Amino acid sequence: MPIVIEKLTYTYQSGSVNAFTALKDIDLTIKDGEFVGLIGHTGSGKSTLIQQLNGLMQPTSGRVIVDGYDMSDKKQRAKGRSLVGMVFQYPDYQLFDETVYKDISFGPRNMKLDNDEIDRRVREAMRLVGLDFDEFAEKSPFELSGGEKRRTALAGIIAMYPKYLVLDEPMAGLDPAGRRAVLEMIDGFRSQLGCAVVMVSHSMDDIARSAEKVVVLRDGRIFTCGTPQEIFSLADELYEMGLEPPFAARMASDLRRRGLLLPHGIYTNEALAAALAEYKGGRGNA
Amino acid sequence: MLSVRNVSFSYDNGSRALNDVSLDIDRGEFVCIVGHNGSGKSTLAKMFNGLLLPTEGSVTVDGMDTADDEKMLDIRRLVGIVFQNPDNQIVTTVVREDVAFGPENLGVPPDIMAVRVDEALKAVGMESYAESAPHMLSGGQKQRIAIAGMLAMEPQVLILDEATAMLDPMGRRDILNIVRELNKQKGITVVMITQYMEEAVGTDRMIVMNDGSIVMEGTPAKVFARGDELRAIGLDVPPAVELRELLKQMDVADCGDAMTLQELSASICRSLLKN
Amino acid sequence: MLKDITLGQYFPADSVVHRLDPRTKLVLLIMYIVAVFIVKDIWVFGLVLGFMLFMTAMSKVPLNYVLKAIKPMRLLLPLMFLLNLFMIRTGDTIVSWRFITITTGGVRQALFIVLRLIALVTGASLLTLTTTPVSLTEGLERLLSPLKIIKFPAHELAMMMTIALRFIPTLLEEADKIMKAQLARGADLESGNIFKRAKAMLPILIPLFVNSFRRAEELALAMESRCYHGGEGRTRLKVLKFGWRDLWAILIMAALIAAVVILQSNLDIDGYIIGLLRPLWTRSA
Repeated sequence: MPIVIEKLTYTYQSGSVNAFTALKDIDLTIKDGEFVGLIGHTGSGKSTLIQQLNGLMQPTSGRVIVDGYDMSDKKQRAKGRSLVGMVFQYPDYQLFDETVYKDISFGPRNMKLDNDEIDRRVREAMRLVGLDFDEFAEKSPFELSGGEKRRTALAGIIAMYPKYLVLDEPMAGLDPAGRRAVLEMIDGFRSQLGCAVVMVSHSMDDIARSAEKVVVLRDGRIFTCGTPQEIFSLADELYEMGLEPPFAARMASDLRRRGLLLPHGIYTNEALAAALAEYKGGRGNA
Repeated sequence: MLSVRNVSFSYDNGSRALNDVSLDIDRGEFVCIVGHNGSGKSTLAKMFNGLLLPTEGSVTVDGMDTADDEKMLDIRRLVGIVFQNPDNQIVTTVVREDVAFGPENLGVPPDIMAVRVDEALKAVGMESYAESAPHMLSGGQKQRIAIAGMLAMEPQVLILDEATAMLDPMGRRDILNIVRELNKQKGITVVMITQYMEEAVGTDRMIVMNDGSIVMEGTPAKVFARGDELRAIGLDVPPAVELRELLKQMDVADCGDAMTLQELSASICRSLLKN
Repeated sequence: MLKDITLGQYFPADSVVHRLDPRTKLVLLIMYIVAVFIVKDIWVFGLVLGFMLFMTAMSKVPLNYVLKAIKPMRLLLPLMFLLNLFMIRTGDTIVSWRFITITTGGVRQALFIVLRLIALVTGASLLTLTTTPVSLTEGLERLLSPLKIIKFPAHELAMMMTIALRFIPTLLEEADKIMKAQLARGADLESGNIFKRAKAMLPILIPLFVNSFRRAEELALAMESRCYHGGEGRTRLKVLKFGWRDLWAILIMAALIAAVVILQSNLDIDGYIIGLLRPLWTRSA
């Protein structure tokens, strides 16, 4: 069963003079196992939207249904929330316990699992994020490097075996190697745990790699939603909005403007290079 | 302007962050220092204004040794530094007063200070926020205020210690444009520490750090020509360079040392459309 | 959003009172407190509260904003009133029924305490309504700066207040984010007894503390980089200047104190009123 968002509107401090509508009329479905990329500039409402997904905030009007559980209902919310794992931007918001092991087991313990199951899950989660059990399990999370902290934070959510994994800017502040590593980890979770992924990112290059569906938010509304091919053909428009569309998409659009006839739907450097090779070959044959 | 001589540095816990680093930065230069997390680049940044002092070797600013306590204020006035977290460098509750914080510490007379503060705010395009509360601003705006806070001290060098790392693309573009402008118009020496390779494009010189040492140095064109070496130490090349490499490999086009979208696009068209 | 919280209770308006130098306002508050404490007769409170109303009118702050300050004392005030009413037995007895005795002295003392509290609280409230926390801090620093001679850390104190004001909204926002991150991991903050709940707060308090320490460290570096080296040789962007209106305000306040002193030692209106009312209870008793 999917996450279904129907006519979702959310207003901060609704009814007061400071009332501010952050989300307007959002309709969106997140299917089982799907990889959804969520894009929007600061203030577009994307943080608000992902907090609706696990009931940290409730709609002012409209509904959020997670696998049949209505997130506006207090009792159903607890059940729905346990299906949605949420990773916030900075691991520092999350890490608190004495050891990495205890910290990762916080979620599973809250789920009232038995000790053997908790131990099994913590080990599995650490393996999936690439933290060596013997080396890290007994370390304090506060003495880890930035990258290791992020892995620990991710493991803390993964150990809850979420059916939907929501990630808020998981690559912010990482160096290129760190970014690649996180992306590979996320692919790993999907293939090994079969969870759906909703990833918020400024960098569309990161989203372009794995997303099946891309949602662009603007001023609290869905500006556009579709496959990466469809979305990234709007590269120039997205760039003007203050976003960072994949380089290859902007490049392709610039080349077209200069008179090079390239097919649409190119958004990776590999695809662009291949298309240019074909163009050259085609012209050579002609 | 800045001179680093055989500097090594170890933290109290014994970990060695810098290893025999030597480096000179000339007046008016725009230098970019890249390296993965933990390569020592931020440690180096804190050497430039004496926040950290070398365990071995010396750092001098305009001839003044950072180890000389007497010169500390002069050095810090000359070398402004903007840090990564926008929230943790704004001290007061009103933008205008925060920009004045540096000049206040230097004992600048109030009437001169007011002029400098307003000019600094104008230079970063934040004059209309002079009376705002900093916590209501976006990350990019906060970093602009931080830069203005440095400009009000009339520095000759501006260090950006991963100042764009926590910003969104829009905020990043703004900061880069402002810094370029300051370098070109006011001749301020800029040292930019970053892990975004695209930001190095257009700078005068690139310095690549790995494990506390300088491993590559040269114009961005020269450094990015060594893409495989960069990738081997956890870095990357800008996307335009990556595409350029692919095109060369596949024998589609040789685009020389194009590093930006515009350059590469023009170059591809030259080789594919004309002949 | 938490971001929008306003600190203190500053009421923005353009008035004579708002424009007074913060130092003047602090001095005025001290003089006002002196005036309130030297009052001995109830009727003189009429004068003091009248002055309060006059200042409120001058400040353009709506009266109910000033009166809001009394709200937190809505339990304390009646309690104080009743305690004094029943406990104090001086002067004539008005009512005497079983163990309850009410005397003229009791009534007087009860009214006296309540009026004094109201006068004090509304006065302090008018100060914070018309002065931003920033200029209040500034005024405090400069008023206290002569005490630097006896090593009183006036500048350090003001710097700490400024930084606290700057970071409270940031920390509140952060606390909100941490709470959400832990709720998302199934943290239960609502059930259980008080000890259980206190323990359940640890996953929120620990990250908050750790982050605050890191913030403090980074802020210290940033301040050092901006040549901060204590209050010595520091100038300020904003120059505070005493004007004519500050002098006038202080003269008016001095006149109030003088009026209180002179009137209450020469006019015994309280005694006169009690004398007028005396037939009411002497007859019934």
